[in-house]
Amino acid sequence: MKKQSKPRLAFFDFTDCEGCQLQFANLGGTLLELLELVDIVNFREIISEAAEDYDIAFIEGSITTDNDVLRIKKIRDKAKVLVALGSCATIGGVNGIKNRSSLELAKKIVYGDKASTINTIKTMPVHEVVSVDYTINGCPVYLPEVVSVVKCLLMGKPYVVPNYPVCSECKMNENVCRYEKDQECMGTVTRAGCNSWCINNGNRCYGCRGLVDNPAADAQKDILSKYGLKLEDVLKHFTLYNDSMGEKYDQEFK
Amino acid sequence: MKYASLKKTNLNNWLEYLKKKAKFYAPRKKENLFVFRPVKDVADICLEYIPTILPPKKYYFPQKERLLRFRAQPFKTAKAIDKFEEFILFGVHTCDIAGIQCMDVVFRDGPEDPNYLNRKDMMTIIGIECLKYCDKYANCASMGNHIPRGGYDLMMVDIGDEFIIHINSEKGEKLVKEVDFIKEATESEMVTLGRIREEKNEIFKEEFYASLPKVYESFDKSFVSEVWKDLGKKCVGCGNCTAVCPTCYCFDVSDEMELNLNDGLRYRIWNSCQMDDFAKVAGGEDFRKGRESRQRHRYYRKFKYPVDKFNRYFCTGCGRCTRTCMAGISLIDTVNALTPVSID
Ligand code: SF4
Ligand code: SF4
Ligand code: SF4
Ligand code: SF4
Ligand code: SF4
Repeated sequence: MKKQSKPRLAFFDFTDCEGCQLQFANLGGTLLELLELVDIVNFREIISEAAEDYDIAFIEGSITTDNDVLRIKKIRDKAKVLVALGSCATIGGVNGIKNRSSLELAKKIVYGDKASTINTIKTMPVHEVVSVDYTINGCPVYLPEVVSVVKCLLMGKPYVVPNYPVCSECKMNENVCRYEKDQECMGTVTRAGCNSWCINNGNRCYGCRGLVDNPAADAQKDILSKYGLKLEDVLKHFTLYNDSMGEKYDQEFK
Repeated sequence: MKYASLKKTNLNNWLEYLKKKAKFYAPRKKENLFVFRPVKDVADICLEYIPTILPPKKYYFPQKERLLRFRAQPFKTAKAIDKFEEFILFGVHTCDIAGIQCMDVVFRDGPEDPNYLNRKDMMTIIGIECLKYCDKYANCASMGNHIPRGGYDLMMVDIGDEFIIHINSEKGEKLVKEVDFIKEATESEMVTLGRIREEKNEIFKEEFYASLPKVYESFDKSFVSEVWKDLGKKCVGCGNCTAVCPTCYCFDVSDEMELNLNDGLRYRIWNSCQMDDFAKVAGGEDFRKGRESRQRHRYYRKFKYPVDKFNRYFCTGCGRCTRTCMAGISLIDTVNALTPVSID
């Protein structure tokens, strides 16, 4: 009797550091358990083959060139399910910083006198170009959430991305708030799901998972100003990961 | 025996004894704040502390609690945990004991909540009475919770070289009777206790301008008020104030599958009215839109609705919500803004 074939997973990277794929590779024992349920057919960091036949595509990285646009559309055509993996793919991430200046200026800063030979477009998260079925935020992605999303996709259920801020996880973990120590923190307006990973480890939240749907940008600006930040620094805090999501805070800041 | 006396030099002996009796939780330092934690070394216990980041509610209403085990094929369900361990909460402030009393009222109201009640059965509360304010954020005197009002097994008061221990239950009595260094309080010790309580009366003053009934009345008239508009502008909706509140008990329920995609666990997880999607229903309708109305709701859930429903204020006066708010929203200031001082 023919064994029912397992869904085939393929990983593709665009403009990024490949850190989220590395996180996935770091799943360790869980990765082996997962391989009972799926076949990984294309994953540069862990296997040398690269099959062009797959069911589920994990997309890492943001879309930043005309070629990227063509390539992601091809992948979308082939894949039954498409997952945006990591903040570059889900919200543009740090690559979005490019969008703060004109393309010409950005090219000039990065490539100097070679600027004219470079093709580049504004940084876009994947969902601005093709439809995305599952979203895994984070820079890098948080492994327990990756596992939750994978379970959902294998069961064909939607994954509900939290729409409450990191603070609510942070308080459940009973952390001393960074503001208590006169440090600024973006957990107040940043989408939860990482179990307040950074704060648990003594750091603050940089907003890597993107803003919640309805961030209290004005109130957060007041808080940051109260803690001594100037308006341009406040803006930097908001845009470090989120410039491609600008419309969420534009009205207040720009 | 109603009142016992424990020499401070014997405190550690008692703590060692208690530690062996059951799971033992007490306040200790965490950076510049305090938290309840299981006690490994009794030397870590801090009895002079401001209210912990989270109230002890995390032990009788955990942040994420397993409710149910299930299997998809063939379908089967079973209670996740039907046995809870005995535990002692040590050094609980009177405000937090009031918090436990509020939770009791809610979870005993039908349909009763078995998870809470089973845990509560296993709990022994040893309180400590505050003789001075923890800090400027407290409003326990206005709420009448700065003095012990029951709800505990034992209550300790520091009278200098000794602790006077009020025995309020059989469970509690056992814990003082089983050790020989705790004696019945003497008459002169009781006189000292009386004097200390009188001194305390001079320290604790109602923190609200208005008396509690007047505060309640003001909520009757304040549904539409600039006060809420102002709060709505300042609040980031982080949910800290509700997470840290000893009387906030809202939760969400979610199922998580194991990797075999057949076995799963059902959990309940803290959730609160400050979350953007809390009052959203299918179809996208939101019954409590905006941070302004969500903040208002939080206050009404402390000073109005539970008074009408349970005849009990659901603010204990612990001050945690103010202490934790990075936006500087103060409960005392808010309540005072609703009840401007009248000259009469
Ligand atoms: S440390 Fe950051 S995430 Fe945690 S409660 Fe404070 S502001 Fe929120
Ligand atoms: S705490 Fe903030 S910066 Fe850290 S992982 Fe979570 S969202 Fe990202
Ligand atoms: S802690 Fe402050 S900012 Fe956060 S939800 Fe409560 S009132 Fe709003
Ligand atoms: S409303 Fe604030 S002061 Fe009152 S019990 Fe809750 S956290 Fe404490
Ligand atoms: S709020 Fe009152 S009862 Fe609670 S710790 Fe402070 S002083 Fe003690």
